[in-house]
Amino acid sequence: MANTQTALKEAMTSIEGSLGAALVDYSSGMALGTVGGGKELDLTVAAAGNTDVVRAKVRTMEQLGLQDTIEDILITLGNQYHLIRLLKGRDSQGLFLYLALDKNRANLAMARHQLRRIEAELEV
Amino acid sequence: MRLTLRQRTERKWLLAAEPEVLEELRRLRARVTHVTGALAATSDGVVLAHDTATVEPEGVAALTAAALGVAQSLAGATGRGAFRELLVRGANGYVATYAAGSTAVLTVLAGDRTNVGRLHMEARRSGARLADLMGVALSRAEQP
Repeated sequence: MANTQTALKEAMTSIEGSLGAALVDYSSGMALGTVGGGKELDLTVAAAGNTDVVRAKVRTMEQLGLQDTIEDILITLGNQYHLIRLLKGRDSQGLFLYLALDKNRANLAMARHQLRRIEAELEV
Repeated sequence: MRLTLRQRTERKWLLAAEPEVLEELRRLRARVTHVTGALAATSDGVVLAHDTATVEPEGVAALTAAALGVAQSLAGATGRGAFRELLVRGANGYVATYAAGSTAVLTVLAGDRTNVGRLHMEARRSGARLADLMGVALSRAEQP
């Protein structure tokens, strides 16, 4: 089992092309932990902004009457991938992992697979 | 409270900045969902501008000044330095106060579904803008 900071560091080192990672509480929009990022990628701003993305999708699903859950959300930019993975554990409801990847270096299938593994090992 | 002539002049100029301050408060309300009101006040509880429908601004400004006094003492006593912000969460939402320079504060009311991360981001930015507006207003007061 890994704590927040260890899990985020692992995401940064083991996932090829990682630019930044954050664990975010989407009931408040605040990050529980961040790794990487920097001047071009402010992870605090990303945490608050992507909270709105997650909330909008949750609300849309409710309105559509879909009795389902979100596993992950992929946003494809010109030069980056942004992956949002909602956590499922009993103690980690209401949290998501956010990962920004360099599109030219990342392998999307591998990144999703790795992120799933990191979630399984994460203990909040 | 008796004010010195200087304080009175400063207050007059601060109050003269009301349209710009109000515009900033409206901008903040528009940028963060679930924000139900915002007001700018001097640190001693005088309302400079408000955009609130549900609460009485004078009362909130006075309570803000009281809470600010305690918050400043608490921050000082525990070595946290100058006051930056104060967040209160009730069962039905949030009341947050942000420093706007050393003379004024910004108090924001928000519902419990608000994105606090975004609220912090936007309100800190607004606080800084209000501080600039206060700075301009006070420099006018300095001029003879």
